[in-house]
Amino acid sequence: MNGYISQIRMTLRLSMRDRAVIFFNYIFPLIFFFLFGQMFHGQEGGITEVVSIVLTIGTLGTGLMGAGIRAAMDREQNILRRFKVAPITAAPILVSSLAAGLVQYLPQVAIVLLLARVVYKMPALEHPASLFLFLSIGVLAFRAIGGIIASVVNSMQESQIVVQLLYMPMFMMAVIPFTVMPDWLQVVAQFIPSTHLNTGMQAILLEHGTFLDNLPAVGTLTLTAVVGTFLGIKLFRWEKEEKVRPAAKLWLLAVLTPFLVMGVWQAHAKDNIARQKILARDLSRKGTWLIHDARLFLGDGRVIERGSVLVKDGKIAQVFEGASPDAKALDAQPIEGAGKTLLPGLIDVHVHLGANGGISAAAYSKFSPSDLERELAAYLFSGVTAVKSVGDQLDSVLKLRAKTGSGEKLGAELFLVGPLFTTEGGHGTEIMRYMPDALRPAAEAQFLRLPKSADEARSQVLDLRNRKVDGIKAVLESGAGNLHFNRMDAQIVKSIGAAARDAGLPMVVHTGESRDIADALDAGASGIEHGSFYQEIPEALFARMKQQGVTYDPTLAVLDSVGALERGSIAPIEGSLVQQVAPPELLASIKTAMSSPEIQSRRALDAGIPYRLEIAEKNLLAAYRAGVTLVTGTDSGNPLTLHGPAVHREMQLWVKAGIPPAETLQAATYNAARLLGVDNRIGLIRAGYEANLLMVEGNPLQDISATERISLIMFKGENRIRSQLELFGKEK
Amino acid sequence: MESAIQVASLRKSYGNFEAVRGIDFEVAPGEVFGLLGPNGAGKTTTVEILEGLRPRDSGEVKVLGCDPALEVRALKDRIGVCLQATNLPDKVKVHEALEWFASFYSRQADCARLLDRLQLGEKRNEYYSKLSGGQKQRVALALAMVNDPQLIFLDEPTTGLDPQVRHEIHGLIAELRGAKRTILLTTHYIEEAERLCDRVAIVDRGRIIAMGTPREIQARTLGQSRIEILTAQPMPGEIPAFQDAEKSSLDGEGKLLTVFSSRPARTLPDLVKWIDQHGLDLEDIHLKRPTLEDVFIELTGKRLRD
Repeated sequence: MNGYISQIRMTLRLSMRDRAVIFFNYIFPLIFFFLFGQMFHGQEGGITEVVSIVLTIGTLGTGLMGAGIRAAMDREQNILRRFKVAPITAAPILVSSLAAGLVQYLPQVAIVLLLARVVYKMPALEHPASLFLFLSIGVLAFRAIGGIIASVVNSMQESQIVVQLLYMPMFMMAVIPFTVMPDWLQVVAQFIPSTHLNTGMQAILLEHGTFLDNLPAVGTLTLTAVVGTFLGIKLFRWEKEEKVRPAAKLWLLAVLTPFLVMGVWQAHAKDNIARQKILARDLSRKGTWLIHDARLFLGDGRVIERGSVLVKDGKIAQVFEGASPDAKALDAQPIEGAGKTLLPGLIDVHVHLGANGGISAAAYSKFSPSDLERELAAYLFSGVTAVKSVGDQLDSVLKLRAKTGSGEKLGAELFLVGPLFTTEGGHGTEIMRYMPDALRPAAEAQFLRLPKSADEARSQVLDLRNRKVDGIKAVLESGAGNLHFNRMDAQIVKSIGAAARDAGLPMVVHTGESRDIADALDAGASGIEHGSFYQEIPEALFARMKQQGVTYDPTLAVLDSVGALERGSIAPIEGSLVQQVAPPELLASIKTAMSSPEIQSRRALDAGIPYRLEIAEKNLLAAYRAGVTLVTGTDSGNPLTLHGPAVHREMQLWVKAGIPPAETLQAATYNAARLLGVDNRIGLIRAGYEANLLMVEGNPLQDISATERISLIMFKGENRIRSQLELFGKEK
Repeated sequence: MESAIQVASLRKSYGNFEAVRGIDFEVAPGEVFGLLGPNGAGKTTTVEILEGLRPRDSGEVKVLGCDPALEVRALKDRIGVCLQATNLPDKVKVHEALEWFASFYSRQADCARLLDRLQLGEKRNEYYSKLSGGQKQRVALALAMVNDPQLIFLDEPTTGLDPQVRHEIHGLIAELRGAKRTILLTTHYIEEAERLCDRVAIVDRGRIIAMGTPREIQARTLGQSRIEILTAQPMPGEIPAFQDAEKSSLDGEGKLLTVFSSRPARTLPDLVKWIDQHGLDLEDIHLKRPTLEDVFIELTGKRLRD
């Protein structure tokens, strides 16, 4: 023990006299700190990323350079030889090198954290002990790797080569943002020790948990430290004359085995890749921005003709009226907003992600998780920051919501209702018609609930609540013209409504005509979907809706598309935004299918349905005049209603129908957020709200089509969203 | 009193190469014993086995009563070792180095006094890298004594040092000898062995080929002195048999005569008389007693330092 203590004391004392050690431990990381601080906008929110990069580089340096090259040098200079004849073994020499490395490194961490706090105003850490503990294990692991390198090389030159071979890729991996890496490199990164160090550190810095929540990384690093130290003692060589067999270099691989295993596992499981994507997403949501001198549409109808919005840490920090404050003084990166209008991100409350808006049967057949992800990306690209799926395969949208919600995949925030509550032969069941009998039960469980009693309805609602749906949707429709559906019993709808209320879930009801609306209101619906496309709704019903605070979603876009299909027009897909976001092959297939026999016969069928846009417009206007809260839904996924931009068309149809632009925009932002039950965090430009923002050229309050001329989309505080979205599969 | 070192039938091979091929010797307490031989003779291998740094293939070895193969830690604690060509970290101060190494041992010498004795007192706060070659070697000697050892191994302690420094180190070793320390010294410098050692073993190709006091070794071999005569004029070709002379030879010019003799005191007058008889002017006369080098050449047919 005495040997250990004097050894540690001397190793430390000597290294403190070594200018190279001081330089690489303290000066070098600080150079990177300030360099990256400028590059990554440390002042304006990028500091967390900078800290994690600098501390990773520091760990690599003290581990590989410090331990690896130093020990080889001591051997080459015949220093270790002197120890060989004294009564001391390799263990205290190696262990004291580890301990000294740790003691030298930890002040670096403290200095970097302190500077980050003082110079770049990084928020105080919630778990500083976790960070120090985690980094301690990291530095021990890398010093152990360094020790092995020193043991298996024959000269200092060799050690420098091996160290560089390991250092350079790890350095690059630490500096290159994870999201910028191509997929194959993201997989390769899982084999690289520094990745686990960096990920664990970011997780702790970003408050994604403590030391204990990073056990895979902690375990891998600990194993490396232990195996590395053990092998280091076994392979220790005192004299340069003791050459090492070339095969012994394989021991280096042995110490890297934990990472190899981790890499293979991750290449298979990908959950660390997902985790890194989430962390990278979180880091890019840390920016501080000042969008200044824009017209602000606040969401609740109020307009500030000249104002500025400060975004910080993913949230709206402050809203300024009048002349803009100085961005520099606020440590924010300025974004020019003059001549533009800033709105809360748009919301589409009625979409079906499982269909793609194509018009031939073939277009519907395609259905994969990546298609769903693409659709949410298309929404975000179009300035729609939240959507509500109102009828999709439950499991796949639950997965999608988890994946986009965590930030692993970039896309609009997803809300979802569970399977549709309808009845045997009712609307919703027709999609099962062509399903093979063998598959039907499974498909029905995903899409439909057909309660036959009040009790069954109740237990089905509660079951869905347990699966964490965001709402309930029931269908009341008996069809029109040559379209016939069985209509759900009004009593059952009532029990669904009661159960939904108890479960704390808003219930929306798909309606076909006035009596459906009446029954929905009796059942305590929160929102009416569609209203009626063929029947004028009596004023009394709208009065009841206003009185009960029920929203009205007219879904004019889908009706407009139905009309276009009847006329053989492709106008709904000709808008420039549609052209930008929709897959080209889908657009091409629509154009060719429009004159196909399949569509001809469908048109003939549709001609028997008495849907009329003018009636829907009249109903919307009546609802508006009655003071009903309006919300925008599009029924995207249906023929000619493509995911993403449809809500812009919806708003244009509303203004054409006579709704003032300000009311229309409010329906697409604040009102929609209220229906979703999240108006305490999205739908408004207000301090404390999520920074989901859309900036458009011109003034949509005068010309609603201005909303399509998007100049900026900010999502949860992240800027430059559009360039990152994967709209067409893998290629960006 | 028990021997400090006992070695019997010691053997060690590296692969096919037999480095030590059966060595026997004993070192008494207080004795300075030298292993003399050329590079590659097996000296260092032998010493490293004694120090516990290397396992032996066969033979009996006892160092201070310990078997170095079994009790290496205990042995290292009691011996002092000065290796050839070792270094210390650049930025270690002289006194720190001593205290640092002393901390490894169960018994510690007084470091301050040790430094004074090795004339390092003034340099105690100097960085190792600032020391001269001789000072560094004195530090190495000091390190060999930090545990006040009963037995000191000095492995080529002056190799690579300039003559003046070597002289200095010799003085220090002589002092140790005066202090009755047991010392095992390996060297390939003849004069070092002659001057410092009580007894010497000459090692060649893994074997001891001669052992005893330097004088005994010289005497036991042929022990001829060499007489060299330089004359102003060439000598006649016919050289007579001088008294007690073994053989004689003349150089090409005929002016330098070399005569080997077992009793030069008798040969020399005879030689000088002969020169006078031939009317030659004697320019120089040189008498050389046999050295260990000569012994070595005689025993092995090669020089120590090739």
